[in-house]
Amino acid sequence: MVSPLLVLDLVERTGPLPLGATVAVPLDGSDDDVALVTAWCTRSGNSLVEVIDGVATVRRGPSPDPYADLDPDQIPGTRLWIYTNFDCNLACDYCCVRSSPQAERRALGADRVRKLAGEAVDAGVSELILTGGEPFLLPDLDDLVAACTAALPTTLLTNAMLLRGRRLEMLRRMDRDRLVLQISLDSPTPELHDRHRGARSWERAVAGIRTAQADGFRVRVAATLEPERFSELEPFKAFLDDLGIARDDQVIRALAHRGVADTGLELTVESLIPEITITADGVYWHPVSADHDDQLVTRELFPLADAIAEVKRRFVAHRAKADAAAQWFPCA
Amino acid sequence: MSKPLIIGSVAYTPNVVTIWEGIREYFGDGPAEMDFVLYSNYGRQVDALLAGEIDIAWNTNLAWVRTVAQTGGECRALAQRDTDTVFQTIFVARTGSALGGLEGLKGRRLALGSKDSAQAAILPVHYLHEAGLGDDDVELLRINSDVGKHGDTGRSELDALRAVMDDKADAAALGINTWEAIGRDELMPGAFEVFWESPTYSHCNFTALPTLSDERAAPWVEKLLAMDFDNPAHRPILEMEGLRQWVLPKMDGYASLFDAVKEQGISPRW
Repeated sequence: MVSPLLVLDLVERTGPLPLGATVAVPLDGSDDDVALVTAWCTRSGNSLVEVIDGVATVRRGPSPDPYADLDPDQIPGTRLWIYTNFDCNLACDYCCVRSSPQAERRALGADRVRKLAGEAVDAGVSELILTGGEPFLLPDLDDLVAACTAALPTTLLTNAMLLRGRRLEMLRRMDRDRLVLQISLDSPTPELHDRHRGARSWERAVAGIRTAQADGFRVRVAATLEPERFSELEPFKAFLDDLGIARDDQVIRALAHRGVADTGLELTVESLIPEITITADGVYWHPVSADHDDQLVTRELFPLADAIAEVKRRFVAHRAKADAAAQWFPCA
Repeated sequence: MSKPLIIGSVAYTPNVVTIWEGIREYFGDGPAEMDFVLYSNYGRQVDALLAGEIDIAWNTNLAWVRTVAQTGGECRALAQRDTDTVFQTIFVARTGSALGGLEGLKGRRLALGSKDSAQAAILPVHYLHEAGLGDDDVELLRINSDVGKHGDTGRSELDALRAVMDDKADAAALGINTWEAIGRDELMPGAFEVFWESPTYSHCNFTALPTLSDERAAPWVEKLLAMDFDNPAHRPILEMEGLRQWVLPKMDGYASLFDAVKEQGISPRW
């Protein structure tokens, strides 16, 4: 039997609150009390933020829409990142997932990629993004990509240094209408790019961009920059313009302090909008942390919808907690 | 541009600011621009209306009755919430009390809300009298927790329910809004049961004096009545204020309170 006094307390404590403000209401700790608070919040249009140590935090009015400030493609579960493998022909000194020629392959495999692509459609995903490692090291990459492009529009991340011979033939078998190649290039001249990624890597990446373009693929260029270099982007953009890369396909991102990077932005679950990421080892919060257990969501890849739901649940909980904290610590 | 209408409202919760800023914004695109002034209690607000400091007062039913008394019936009600036309007072007791009706209160203790709450004090006494119960037949426990706000906060009614739980009273009288707020008897089965419900009566209304011309009042009322619960821009305000639709006032719904005020000798002012 729950205490009727609890409901009276809820009404009295929330009544004077401004919309959006929260109040702590002590419970007696029973499951019945939590159920009663939940039922009362549902009925009264208020929201239960959390119950910790026998104290319920209740917000006046409905929970704010956690996705209100996000662009449509930022809503968790809209895009699905898939790490096809972790080995790479390069050993970039800032790689967030510690890829290199010595890294274990940890390939996801065509069967699981195919299953993911199929479940992604049903789960409401609108775009697949394949990354590594260097995906073109995989002998069956064209099969993986075909499974993805058959299901959804797909982006394939690559350093474009291996686009010749058998691998170029694999590329040419991919669906140009459904696939975008995202190629890494960090500077308009070789020096900086090669310093991070290895000798002659800039020259070969630029050649790869031209090869892909010549074969009719849409190419997006992604650069990883130290924060201090964001003030000197114009020469780089002009170079990309000359390469024929549309401005919308020029992606500049900040270096993350992850993997083997010594510096960069500190990124945590609390500070990152999730981009659900699948590897052979599990489901991760974001591709930048796909080799770090602090952002591991679950080891279970399937059903994919469950993993997406769990990420969304955690994201909503983080947002609610942050909103509640903001209420508790006004600027005065 | 004509001078904006000034609406008075009592700030019984911080959300009154949010509500009226929303309504002011709604009226901002014409043709009846308005602003608002908040008061700490209804006595102060009615005085301001009579002094011409505000054009329209968002009044409780008791504030309406008192304005009628002080103007010799010259004031008029412009509009109210749909929920104001079907307000009720609910008499509740602990489940199993078997009071059966108001007659069952004879020799019992009834907890009432603040003395200036029509729903939780004035009308309940009126209903007892109508049921043939005199002042000595029922022991009244008066809980004056929010005097001046005419019961708007609902706090005195919650205290009346606590009195029932604490066995300081056998029953409590409360407004239907408070009964709804605690989830009726559905969230806490076995706690409280209703043993009598009043007929419906009218509650709040927008009150104006004859000095407010039809030419100024009519466009404002027309725009008010056009607020749409299905419009996402209007809905949050309507939900906070506790209605789905603004309507023209139901004037015969005030008869019982006029009678109650008269028979109980309640002051026409404050």
